[in-house]
Formats: sequence, C-alpha cells, structure tokens
Amino acid sequence: MKSLLGLLLLLLATPVFAGEELHIFNWNDYMSEEVVAGFEKSCNCKVVQDYYSGTEEMMAKLQAGASGYDLVVPTQNAVQALIQQGFLEKLDKGALANIKNQDPGFLNRSYDPGNVYSLPYAYTTTLIGFNEQRLKEQGIEPTGWAVIFDPQILEKIKGKVTVMDDADELLGAALKYLGYSVNDVDEKHLREAQQVIMTAKPYWAAFNSSSYIKELTVGNIWVAHGYSSDMVQARNDAMDAKRDFSVNFILPKEGAVLALDNMVIPKKAKNKKLALQFIDFLMDGKNAAGLSNDVGAGNPNAAALPFINPELKQLAAIFPDQKVLATLETLEATSTKVRRLKNKLWTEIKLK
Amino acid sequence: MQGKAWYKYLLSLPPMAYLLIFFAAPTFIMLFASFRYAGEYGGLAPWYLHEGGRLTLDLTLENWQRLLETDIYLRLFLRSIGYAVATTLLCMVMGYPLALMIARSGRKHRDLLLLLVILPFWSNFLVRIYAWMIIFSPAGALTRMINGALELLGMGSVTLMYSPTAMLVCLVYVHLPFMVLPLYANLEKHDLDLLDAAQDLGAGKWRRFWLITWPLSLPGITAGSILVFIPVLGMFAIPDLLGGTNGIMIGNVIKQQFMESRDWPFGSVLSMVLTVTAVAVVLLGSRLGARREGR
Amino acid sequence: MRKKNVLLWLSAALVYLFLYLPLVIVVVFSFNDSKLNAEWVGFTWKWYGKLLHNREMLGAAMNSLIIATVSAGVATILGTLAGMAMSQYRLRLLQLLVLAPIAMPEILMGVSLLVLFILVNMTLGLMSIMLAHITFCIGFVALSVQARMSSMDPALVEAARDLGASPWRCFREITLPLLMPGILAGALMAFTLSIDDFVITFFTAGVGSSTLPLQIYSMVKIAVTPEVNAVSTLLMLLTLVVITAASRLSPTIFRGE
Repeated sequence: MKSLLGLLLLLLATPVFAGEELHIFNWNDYMSEEVVAGFEKSCNCKVVQDYYSGTEEMMAKLQAGASGYDLVVPTQNAVQALIQQGFLEKLDKGALANIKNQDPGFLNRSYDPGNVYSLPYAYTTTLIGFNEQRLKEQGIEPTGWAVIFDPQILEKIKGKVTVMDDADELLGAALKYLGYSVNDVDEKHLREAQQVIMTAKPYWAAFNSSSYIKELTVGNIWVAHGYSSDMVQARNDAMDAKRDFSVNFILPKEGAVLALDNMVIPKKAKNKKLALQFIDFLMDGKNAAGLSNDVGAGNPNAAALPFINPELKQLAAIFPDQKVLATLETLEATSTKVRRLKNKLWTEIKLK
Repeated sequence: MQGKAWYKYLLSLPPMAYLLIFFAAPTFIMLFASFRYAGEYGGLAPWYLHEGGRLTLDLTLENWQRLLETDIYLRLFLRSIGYAVATTLLCMVMGYPLALMIARSGRKHRDLLLLLVILPFWSNFLVRIYAWMIIFSPAGALTRMINGALELLGMGSVTLMYSPTAMLVCLVYVHLPFMVLPLYANLEKHDLDLLDAAQDLGAGKWRRFWLITWPLSLPGITAGSILVFIPVLGMFAIPDLLGGTNGIMIGNVIKQQFMESRDWPFGSVLSMVLTVTAVAVVLLGSRLGARREGR
Repeated sequence: MRKKNVLLWLSAALVYLFLYLPLVIVVVFSFNDSKLNAEWVGFTWKWYGKLLHNREMLGAAMNSLIIATVSAGVATILGTLAGMAMSQYRLRLLQLLVLAPIAMPEILMGVSLLVLFILVNMTLGLMSIMLAHITFCIGFVALSVQARMSSMDPALVEAARDLGASPWRCFREITLPLLMPGILAGALMAFTLSIDDFVITFFTAGVGSSTLPLQIYSMVKIAVTPEVNAVSTLLMLLTLVVITAASRLSPTIFRGE
C-alpha cells in the first residue's frame, strides 16, 4: 500500500503547467489544432478546449453556472440571447489591431449592431452530406430536403440516414422543405413541420449531431443532415482512408440555414486579456485561413482569402456567392414562449 | 463508553449531517422545484411574487399536468420499464449458469473464475459501450458476417447499430456482474448434501435443480434483479450512444430537460416519478425477500 | 467431487466469451493503422504516441486522480463513522441516508446536486465533483465497515476498558486495527467508484474539471480516432496492475470479508 501511496503522491506532485490558461468553449470539430499550437507558442500559455454540439446544449451549460470560460464561440442567435441576458463583456476594440481584416459584409449584423460584444469567427451552412456511390446505386439524385423527408425516397435508404439532434436545425429544415422561413413561429406551421419529421422518422437511423463525420467516412451512413464544415472533413477523411466511395454534399434547393459563429468573452471570464489576444490572433489573415483550411468552414475574414485552399474557395456550399446567399437564412433568437413550444414539439418528436 | 450519548453522536452526526445536506436536501429541493415555474432563461423562477408590499406564493401544478396531458410520457415510462425488465431477465438467463458453474467448481479455481467476471467490470463502462459500438458498426466484421450469412439464405440484411437489439445487448453486458455476484454469493452457501440426498432418492438432474437449487437461490435472484433493474431504469448513456430514433428512455428525457431544454421544473417532475418507481421496486424486492426468509 | 455438467460449463464458457470478446476487439483496434475502427489495415503504435501528447487527456487523468483520492479519503472517514454507528446503535434515519443513495438511479443524484449547487451559487468544478462523489461513496464504505464490525467480538473492547485503557487508546489499539480490512476494502471501493463515475460527474462538472470518463464520453460521442481504444487499453492494463497489487497486499479484499 505504501508504494501505491508513494506513486500517487509523485503523480500529484508533478508540476502543473505554470503559465496562463485560456479556456475555450467551442463547437466540436471547429478549431485548427495548428493555429492553437501557434498561439500557445506566441503567448507561452495553454489553451484548454471544451466542446458542444448544439446551441441549446451550450446555453444550458452556461446557464448551469459554467463560469470560467474565457472565450465562447456561439452562433448568431445565441449571441443575441447572451447579450439580452447580460452575459457578455464588451470587446475592447483598442486591443484588436486585426479587426481591419474582417469582411464588412459580416459585421454590424442585427444580432449585435456595431459588434459591441462579438466578432465573427467562421460560418457554415446546414446541408446534406451523402455517399455518392451508394446513392447512385439506389438511383437517388439528391437535390433538396426531400432526401431526408420524403418517405418514397427514404424507402430505399432506410436506416442509412441521420439527422441533427437539434430542434432549431431540424424543424428549420422541415420548415424550408414546406416552403416556410426557418424562423417561422406560427404554431400551425411548426406543427406541419413536426408532422413532416414524424412521417420520416421511422426511416432514420438516429438523431446525431456529433459523430456523423465518422459514420459517413466509414460508410455506415449514406445521408447525413449536418454542418458544411463537417461534410468537408468527412469528404477529406474518406479520401485519405481510400474508401471505395466518395462523400459529397449539396445545399438543398429550397434553401438552408446559414450559421455565423462568433467569438465572445463572458463577463465572468478569468482571463479576458488573453482571450482578446487570441481573438486578435485568429483575425490575422493567415491564422483565419488556417481555420478554414483545417475545418472546412467559410471565412468572414477578407485578409484570409488569399491563403485559403482554392479548391475549398470555389465550393458554393462553403463560400456561397450572392445568388446562393439569397436562399440562406440565419436563425434568430426566440422568445421564451416560442422556445417552450419548440421544446414541447421536440420532446414529442423524440418520444412518439 | 459505548453507552454514552456523546459517543453515539460523535459517530453518527458527521455522516448524517453530510448526507442530509448533499442527499436529502437536494431531493426535497427537486420536489419543490417540480411545483415552480421555469426561469426566463432557464433555471427556476422565484417562488414568490412581490406585489404591493405583500409576498404571495407563485407555484403551479402545470408541470405535473403536462405529465398527464398526453400518453407519451406514460409510453416513455412503460418503454423504460420494458427495457429494464428485459435486461433483468436476460441477465438472469445468462448469469445463472455462470454463477452456478463458479459455485460448483473447486475451491482452487473459484476465486479466479469470479475475478474473471469482475475484471471487465473494472474497465470504465463507457469503454465497454464503445466496444459494442465497434462491433455493431455496419462496416464492422460481425455485421458483415451476419449479413453475408443472411444473403446466402436469401434473406434481407439487418442493421444492428442504433437498434433496440444493440441497446439491449449493451445493457445486459454492462449490468451482468450485478446479477452474477449476488447469485454466486447465494449459490455458494447451498448445502450440497441436499442434492446428494435427492439423488440417492432417485431424483433426476432437472428435478433436483427445480426442487432444490432454484427455490433456495430465489433471494439471490431478487437481490441481483434489484441491482440490475434500478440502474437500467435511469440509464441515459447507452440510449444516447446506441439508441437511434426510437431508443429514448426516461433518463434521456430527464437529461434533456436539464442539459438542453432548460426546463428544470419539468425535469424535476420526471425525476420525482423515477424516484418513486425506484423506491417502489426496492420496497417490493425487500418485501419479497423478507417473506422468503420467513418461510 | 461430482461429475461436471457439460451443458453448464459450455453455457458458462459462452458467457465468458461474451464478456471478453468486446474488450479484445477494443485492444486489437488500438493497434490498427487506420482512423476508422472498421477493418484491419496494419500494425501501429501511433495512437499511443498521440495519446502521450494529448494534454487534455492527461489533464483529465490528473483531475480524476485528484478527485478520487480526496473523495475516497473523506468518504472513508465519514463512512467509517457511519458504519461504526450503524453496527452499535439502531439509527433508522442514518440507515436510510446511507442506503438510499446506493439504491437510487445515479442520474437522480446527478441532477439534484446540479440544482443544489446552482441554487447556492457555487461554481461547478473540482470541488462540486468531489462533494458529489463523497455523497455516493459514503454508503459503500459504511456497509463494508459495518460488516466487519458486526463480526468483531465486543468483549475485546470491554476487556481493554476493564484493564484501564482510555477510550481513545482503546479505539486506536483495538477497534481500528480490527476494522482495518473493512476500512481498506471500503476505501478501495470508494476510490474505484469515484475514478470510474460518469453519470454524476457529467452533471456536476464545470469548466476545466473534465475527468477521464467525461473525456472518453466526448471522444466516443464525436468518435474521431482510435485514441479512445488506446486510452481504454491503458486503463484496462492499469486496472489489472492495481488489482494484482491489491490482492497481493490484502488477499481478503475481494471476498468482502
């Protein structure tokens, strides 16, 4: 027992990292390890990351007193909600020299006029990723949301489809399929969307917001509803692993959700200075480009464009042009009443 | 010394105080929370209103009514109980021969055989679930083997991942030792002379089992069943990782209320229902056990 | 010895296969030179190498160790007191408080402690996890100590008292040494329960307090690389070493004596 105790003491006594720590709360698969390593070198600090896979999950975590994050990367509708709750620290623009690099088209949006609290980080669209060969074998040509909602198509790919485990995203997709706006709060329309989902549900394998990259790459799943950046990673992974099929993705013709993700600093952050430093570091053209190249996300940084992989840049689903942008919508923050209604519809979807 | 009051309090007060604060109090807070409104951004709304200098209570039965509004929560509940019952039965079917074999083997091997049951149990339970996720993966060897065989027989293919079967296998796998250990503890104590006597009287193998071993092992089965049933009832990780679109259990919905939907009061309602069920199962089990002891 | 029942042995062997096959697969794939756990590609050590440089994992392992050591320590003290009290007096309330947490589904303790910690405005982190772990460990230690205590001969203490030993001396030199196997078994159980706990930690963890099981959960959920297999294999190895060491030190621990 003594030697065991000694071992324990030895382990406990190993010097814990002495420098500063930066705690980040970010979407999963949404950060470039290389860029992080570069920052750690330049600041002599340690970056500690926690991940989430849904806006509601992130909000609940923060609500549950998860104080101690220095930097959070929420989507625009969550930024709006966090501002309303007085959760965010105003950004000290004086400390952000690289702010000039940001594309003005992504600044000064309605969720945070004047970018007092937030600066854009990256953007994604929510779309459909699929296994090209397997779908071709079944004679399916994916063009719109029908591929995850239409029972006639689903009949051929039963058990090979996953959809996002996220009320806003899935209801939003169903609303788009029906021709409504993703921000429609009319109860009747939401019920219709719920019905679409219920009809399709028996054909789906799972609600999955976190591991569809891998499922697509392995070939377990043929169609996945998910974020564009993840689909790029799945495509690259499948190529690297030399699978006998390729993963591709399309933006549904009916339109889809555009998510503009932002960097914000919570009021309770312990290391605001370091967080600002990191934000500035990320807004450097090369670093911002590194993020895009590594995770396959769209980039709101004008100085980054020259450094971005040209093949990535020409993908309309990742860097949408004006025509495509017109079909995309961003989610808006919802009132408590609407949130309750959506929660109720969502619980029913999950249970029935 | 043993009779002195101060000694009694010295021993019992510290653990009692700790458990009152960190176990009893939270349970009552949850009960209370189930009658409160949810806060604007999550959490709980104040339970009183400040109106014209007077304090009034602001409590509601709304959350409990929501439970009864539709039958979906009843169905959720029955489904969870169904999984718990099925898991318990399967654990019994698989655990009984194993426990019996260990109890009947020579003293020398007994400890080793028992240790072999406990060993996998000492690896983290997420690791054990993960192992099955690899096995059930459609691209994995097992699924391909099964489907190859089905194809030869001219039958359609099956998907194991994200199915109730996958969930059940995993639930059994994770909880099997809970059944084997108490069963073994019971079987090991049986007086083998009884079996010999029965054999001398001409009773066959099965007759001996049904008339002697089985009835004597009932207390072990009851204990094992409680130990399996209750954790399965509150499980959320296995349905989360393997359950697919229809594998939701009550634990997942509770987790959803606290970790996603930010609806604590309704989450508290569901937690209370689960608490009452667990208490009922334990009481029923100990009642059954007591009756047998008395016989 | 009676003759072996072939059917019984065969079915038991199948159950052992059921118990070990999945773990073998995890270990095998930890050496597979492919990101996907689908088919065998080739042998590699690289996932172990990656693991050594995965600071989040190492940090989580450190957190787990700190939490388990402190929780097991405190729970052992409180649980020993409770076990001694329960075996000497009839205390209905204490009995209930000690047994109920063991009998309840873990998720209930997780969410109710979450609510408690937030209502009293406590920052979730190592501290909240430890408080939670102590809560569920006390019962196991108490039961182990109680079992040991009830097999102890009370005459020993009485005799010592009659010979003029002070209560403290009596406790230190007679009760404690006799209880030691029970206390050690309880402490070991508390340590493993704490280091292994996922559900309660899931609800009470905060920023920067991720433990090994939480880390494994997020890796399994996001399912990126066989690093999960590598860490699982190492954990199994560690368990094996600890068990062997512990059984050498105290052969009685595993028989619950």
